[in-house]
Amino acid sequence: MGTPLPGGPRGGLRRGQDGGAKMAAQDGGAKMAAWARGVRGLLLDISGVLYDSGGSGGGVPIAGSAEAVRKIKASGLKLRFCTNETQATREKFVKKLQGLGFDISVAEVTAPAPAACRLLKERGLRPHLLVHDDLVPEFAEIDKTNPNCVVVGDAAENFSYANVNEAFRVLIGLEKPVLISLGRGRYYKETDGLKLDVGAYMKALEYACDVEAEVVGKPAKAFFESALAEMGVPPREAIMIGDDIVSDVGGAQQCGMRAVQVRTGKYRAFGHHRASPTPPGWLLNAVIRPAEDPTRNELLIQLIPNRPCDENHPQVKPDAYVNNLAEAVDVILSQL
Amino acid sequence: MAARRALKAVLVDLSGTLHVEDSAVPGAQEALKRLRSAPVTIRFVTNTTKECKRDLLERLTKLGFDIAENEIFTSLTAARNLLEQKQVRPLLLVDDKALPDFTGIATEDPNAVVVGLAPEHFHYEMMNKAFRLILDGAPLIAIHKARYFKKKNGLALGPGPFVTGLEYATDTKATVVGKPEKTFFLEALRGTSCAPEEAVMIGDDCRDDVGGAQNAGMHGILVRTGKYRPGDEDKINPAPYLTCESFPAQREDASLGCSPFQIIQGCCKQLSWQSFSTGIRNSFHN
Repeated sequence: MGTPLPGGPRGGLRRGQDGGAKMAAQDGGAKMAAWARGVRGLLLDISGVLYDSGGSGGGVPIAGSAEAVRKIKASGLKLRFCTNETQATREKFVKKLQGLGFDISVAEVTAPAPAACRLLKERGLRPHLLVHDDLVPEFAEIDKTNPNCVVVGDAAENFSYANVNEAFRVLIGLEKPVLISLGRGRYYKETDGLKLDVGAYMKALEYACDVEAEVVGKPAKAFFESALAEMGVPPREAIMIGDDIVSDVGGAQQCGMRAVQVRTGKYRAFGHHRASPTPPGWLLNAVIRPAEDPTRNELLIQLIPNRPCDENHPQVKPDAYVNNLAEAVDVILSQL
Repeated sequence: MAARRALKAVLVDLSGTLHVEDSAVPGAQEALKRLRSAPVTIRFVTNTTKECKRDLLERLTKLGFDIAENEIFTSLTAARNLLEQKQVRPLLLVDDKALPDFTGIATEDPNAVVVGLAPEHFHYEMMNKAFRLILDGAPLIAIHKARYFKKKNGLALGPGPFVTGLEYATDTKATVVGKPEKTFFLEALRGTSCAPEEAVMIGDDCRDDVGGAQNAGMHGILVRTGKYRPGDEDKINPAPYLTCESFPAQREDASLGCSPFQIIQGCCKQLSWQSFSTGIRNSFHN
C-alpha cells in the first residue's frame, strides 16, 4: 500500500488498486499526517462535501460535516468555501446551508458568478445568460442589452431545448463567439440522483459553434488563486477538500495546493483491479442482494463496463482519499 | 482497377441524387428503371433521423420512383440493426415520426440510449435520464452528429451538441451509425452477398457519400446535383472514382461526364472493373 504513484511525485495515499476502503482510510490518515503539518488554511468544496443537494428541504447534511466545520473554526485554521454552485445567489445559498446547521457566512464563500461579473466588466462584455433563475440577481449590475457573449451556468430545468438553442443562436451570430462557463463539472449528486452539470452544456455549445469556452470557477487556476488570496494563505500551506476528482482535486493541485478526495457526494467507487481476469474494458462487480433472513443473502456477480473512475483516475491522483470531511479534518487537526 | 471484380450492388443516395426536396431530378425515374435492367442489387441509402422508411417510400413513390421498402437502408435502420445485434433495450430520443422503424424493439427498462434529431426530447429531465443510463454502462448510439440545421426562422441545434454533452459528462464515445461511418455502408450491403469492392455508391455529398463509401472499400461516384458545389470533388483523398453530371445524365452529355447508370450497365456487361475503365474511355470518345 502507499506505493508511489505512476506519473506523479506526490506520495499520497491512495486506496490501492488492491486494498479495501477501511484499510485505505487508516493508511490515508497516516500518510496525510506527514504533509498536513505545515497547513494554515483549508478550502472546502460545498456540494458533496458539506451536504447533498436536492429534495424538498434543499438538501441533506453529510454526517459529521457541520461538526467538522465548527472544529476547523475553533482550531484557528483559515477557512474558505470554494464552490461552483450557480443555482442560487450566494445569499440564498448560504442561508440554506445555515438552515442545515452549518456555521458559514457569505463573506467566506468564493463562487463563480461574482468572478464572472468582474471579468465581464473588465472586458466590456454584455452577456446573454443561460443560468438558473435564482442566479440572475448576481448579474443585476451588468449591462445585458445587445449581447456580445454567452454566460452558461448550472441552469438545471432552464436547460430546455429552446433556451439552449437561443444561447446557440446568440453565439453563432457573433463575429467572434465568446462563451463563458461557470465551472465545467460533468455532473453532481442530488438526493434523487446524479444530475448533468454545466460542463455538458458548455461542451454542447462548444461543439455547435466550434469555440472553446473560458471557464470561470473550478478548476480554473485564477479561481483558486483568488480564494487563496482572500484567505491570505500561499498554495503550499493550503489543502483543498472536495468530491470532484477533476475540478476540485486536479484544479487545486494545478495551483500548487495539496488536495484530498472525499468518498462522499458524486464520488464513484468503481475501480479496476490491475490483475482482474475480466476482458479488457470490463470489470467484475459484486453486489449483495439482501434477503429477509440474512443467511439467505444472495451474492450477484456481474460484468460492468470499466471507465475512468474517481479511485483510479488516469490523469488526477489525489494527495489523499478520505471517507468524508469529518475524517479529513480529524487527521489534519491531530497534526496541529 | 487492379482487381477483376464484377459489380454486384449499387447504393444510391436519395435526397440530392434522386430528388431535391419535392421534385425528382429530371429523368431520374427513367434512369432508375434502366438501372434495374442490369443484374445488380440496388439499395437506397440515406441519413435520416426524422422520416421512417414508410414515409420515405411514400414520398419517392409520389415522385414516380419504382422502389420497394426493403431496398431502403437508412441511419435509423442501421441503429435498429445495432440494437438487435447488441440485444439491448433503447431509450429512444428520436422524432415520433421515426418510431415506426423501431417497431418490435423492446424499450421497457432501457439499457441503451439512441439519439436522433428530437428537440422535443432534449430537455433537462430527459437528458438526465439518458445520462444516468449511460453512466451505468448503457451504450450511446447517435444517428448522426450534425451540429445544427436550417429552419425557416433560423438555425436550430442538431443532435450533435447533445450527444457531445452526454459524451463529456459520462466520459464515453458515442457509436455514430449514419453516413459516412464505414459500418453504415457495410451494413447496407448485408444480405446481398456482395463485398464492398463489388459495390458502387452514388451520391451528391462528396464526404459523406463518396468519401465514406470509398473508405469502406467501395467505388464512389459523385453527382453534380443537390448539395454539390464546384470543387467538391477535390475535398477528399483519394478523389471520387468518378464525377458525373447527374444520376440520369445521358450519353449525349459525355462532354460533361457520363451517367452512372451507363457506367454501371457497361460494367455489368463486361463484368470487370478493369474493362469497365476502358468502357468509360470509349464512351467519351464516341
